[in-house]
Amino acid sequence: MANAFVAAFEILSFGAIIVLIVLGLGIIASMMGIFNFAQGEFVLLGAYITYLAYAKGLPIWAGMVAAPFVVGALGFVLEALIIRRFYAAPIVAMLGTYALGLIIRESVRGLIGGFYLTVPEPIGGSIDIGTMHISAWRFTIIVITLLVMAGCYLLLSRTSFGLRMRATLENPSLARASGISTPLMYGATFAFGSALAGLAGALIVPVFSLYADLGIRFLIQGFVAVMVGGVGSFIGPVAGAGVIGTLSAALPWIMAPVVADVLVFVLAIAFIKFRPQGLIAGKGV
Amino acid sequence: MSKSMSAVKQAIPAEIGGETDIVMGSSGAAPQVAAGRKVLPIVEGVVLVAALAAPLVLQDYLTVFATRVVILALFALSFDLVWGYAGIMSFGQALFFGSAGYGVALLARDLDITDIFLVLPAGTLIGLTFALLLGGFLLLGRHPSSVIFVSLGTLTGSYAADRLARGWYYLGGQNGIPSISSMTLGGYEFSEGPGFYYLVLGILIVVYLLCRFLVRSQFGLALAGLRENEQRIAFFGYKAQHLKAIIFAIGGAIAGLAGSLYAFHEGFVWPNMVGVVVSTQVVLYVLFGGSGTLIGAVIGTVIVEGVSFWLSDNYRDIWPIILGLLLLLVILFRPLGLISFVLGERERVGSFGARIKGK
Repeated sequence: MANAFVAAFEILSFGAIIVLIVLGLGIIASMMGIFNFAQGEFVLLGAYITYLAYAKGLPIWAGMVAAPFVVGALGFVLEALIIRRFYAAPIVAMLGTYALGLIIRESVRGLIGGFYLTVPEPIGGSIDIGTMHISAWRFTIIVITLLVMAGCYLLLSRTSFGLRMRATLENPSLARASGISTPLMYGATFAFGSALAGLAGALIVPVFSLYADLGIRFLIQGFVAVMVGGVGSFIGPVAGAGVIGTLSAALPWIMAPVVADVLVFVLAIAFIKFRPQGLIAGKGV
Repeated sequence: MSKSMSAVKQAIPAEIGGETDIVMGSSGAAPQVAAGRKVLPIVEGVVLVAALAAPLVLQDYLTVFATRVVILALFALSFDLVWGYAGIMSFGQALFFGSAGYGVALLARDLDITDIFLVLPAGTLIGLTFALLLGGFLLLGRHPSSVIFVSLGTLTGSYAADRLARGWYYLGGQNGIPSISSMTLGGYEFSEGPGFYYLVLGILIVVYLLCRFLVRSQFGLALAGLRENEQRIAFFGYKAQHLKAIIFAIGGAIAGLAGSLYAFHEGFVWPNMVGVVVSTQVVLYVLFGGSGTLIGAVIGTVIVEGVSFWLSDNYRDIWPIILGLLLLLVILFRPLGLISFVLGERERVGSFGARIKGK
């Protein structure tokens, strides 16, 4: 019983991490129609900034707060300089953002070398429930993920920023005619997606350590989650991430990890083939 | 004639392999394009002569390196067929390359089969089979799959294969399968050096000519039509999905052939060979050289591999960054690759761009 509870918690916390990483990816894919191959590197940057703050003797929290802002600002600049040219062609966007990701990843690798650098958990220790111990930091990640999800939902559905964002997504020319600066909205959307990736990196670096391939490790899982969930809505990718994250954490408990790994991808691809619109179809929030 | 110059610019597609903004009958575009018309055979000839002469002028260890490059060029050719001609973004081409490599490695290890007339067809067949299965699943069916779905599907396939190879003890796990015995022809053993080089060069030339014949046939023109506008080709009565599945399978077979040669040349196979790393590497080659020209794929492989070999001693750390920057620049400013500096858009098969008066 206790084991089952701890297992369920582990699975849930891994699902939350995938959701956190996929949030930004999903927003960019849904709103802009771009599968951003550099998203993993934005996660990596968020982790790196957190590590830098820690290494310089600042509190870890400071790094974690700074990460989404720095990465978001970088995203805004990159969108204006480079990503903007790719909107007409999704495949070119894939290749272009891949190149961008390669540059960022290899630069970070140059800075940190091939090491696994560790950052301590800002909230250490474990929460004890009777005889069971669950990691306090993983629990915090779950809570923050829920808060961020709620925040994104409110931002997109309740604020005028969200309204303008959705208007740009639905009909760019009409939005432009209504006085919305669509280039600015695209920039802001991309920056927002990047910031979420930066936050994800900051929060997971105590769990996974910092290494150059940290981001790319989750990238393909992230794409699959977005496709399974369905592009075109906010909820879709989140649902997809929940399913993929939970499956890839749960299946290794009942079968060989290798088989589980491959099975998740095979199932996901088969699912997308027969239900291309994903779990949750539709446009909007 | 600034107006006509802009027409030339427009004749180069704004995106790789996508919709081409064709300007018909703009006579002013002649100089650049007319020159381009005769360039392709010259480029092919120069590459051929250089390739034939290479072992005569190179030191031994460079001949070994050149052999590897020729094998990778064969692999790049397979990607150029599916991407440059049919417009299918196969982001997991290494799946066919690597699975064939693993296949022949197992043949050599467990069954002691190294005969060239057995292992190369076996590798080709493995590539073909896997491509038929994956391509059939992704490309065929009631609803045509989106380009993005196919590219992510192939990428995921390759990633899953990578994970499988890493975790499966029978395939050697992380370490792969080391010390594969040499490929044999009767009593002769192919070891690294000029013999192996001319063998793979011969194979490359044969495959290149077959591909050249294929893409210039009716079938190839239909493929190029697909690349430019799939719906239009479908309206003409072609079964677009079948054409795609066929070229995907052919690409897989060539990748399999390259993979089996690679396994015997290197003497070992390891998980990266089926995974995302090699899959994206081949995309780099073709984008650099220029997609949709066949020779562009070969040139791109030679340039990328050559420069990284050159730089890897002194600039091992920053070379990948430079590679990324160059790739980004090519995508942004030269979507048809480096070969488009000397080759007119018209010489990409199937793109009948600006027409030239009096020619």
